[in-house]
Amino acid sequence: MDVAIVAFLIPLAGIAAAIFLVIALVRRRR
Amino acid sequence: MDDEPLVRDYLGRLESAAWPLAAARRTELVGEVREHIDAALTEAGRADEVTVRNVLERLGPPEEIVAAESEGEAPPQSRTSSSWGAIEIIAVLLLTVGAVFIPFVGPFVGLVFVWASTRWTLPEKLIASAIVIGLLLLPILAILGVGPPQPGCACG
Repeated sequence: MDVAIVAFLIPLAGIAAAIFLVIALVRRRR
Repeated sequence: MDDEPLVRDYLGRLESAAWPLAAARRTELVGEVREHIDAALTEAGRADEVTVRNVLERLGPPEEIVAAESEGEAPPQSRTSSSWGAIEIIAVLLLTVGAVFIPFVGPFVGLVFVWASTRWTLPEKLIASAIVIGLLLLPILAILGVGPPQPGCACG
């Protein structure tokens, strides 16, 4: 696997999960 | 009897007045009041304007119903601010900024905070964990050298 893809996937994992969790909290507030 | 303009107007005012309540509770409250009105009109045996006005007057202003309903609940301001606590903020920071500056460790520590939080439900925690583990597994496997052999590789 290309180093660039690896370097991209590492932060993407956390950011994707964070976006999901933030949306979950914001939706519940409404 | 929902098409009665007075009833619709009353329920509309009730819904507007109930904005501080949670959306689910607001819908529930309007439904309860609607049922109450329907029952009262059925009991009265007619739904003319005078009867409807009497029923609505007996119920009282929508604002009073909402005020009585709010007394049993936490104030809306505290509920709004309680959506985000220190644990949730730390978890999101570790998952985002931590993932960039502390690769692998940051997101996993962030997940620990996610699981420590009481504001996310179990399915939400499971999905977030699956996203992190799933997407981190690929680079970990790549770093460990697991994968299809490179073309022109003389290995094996």
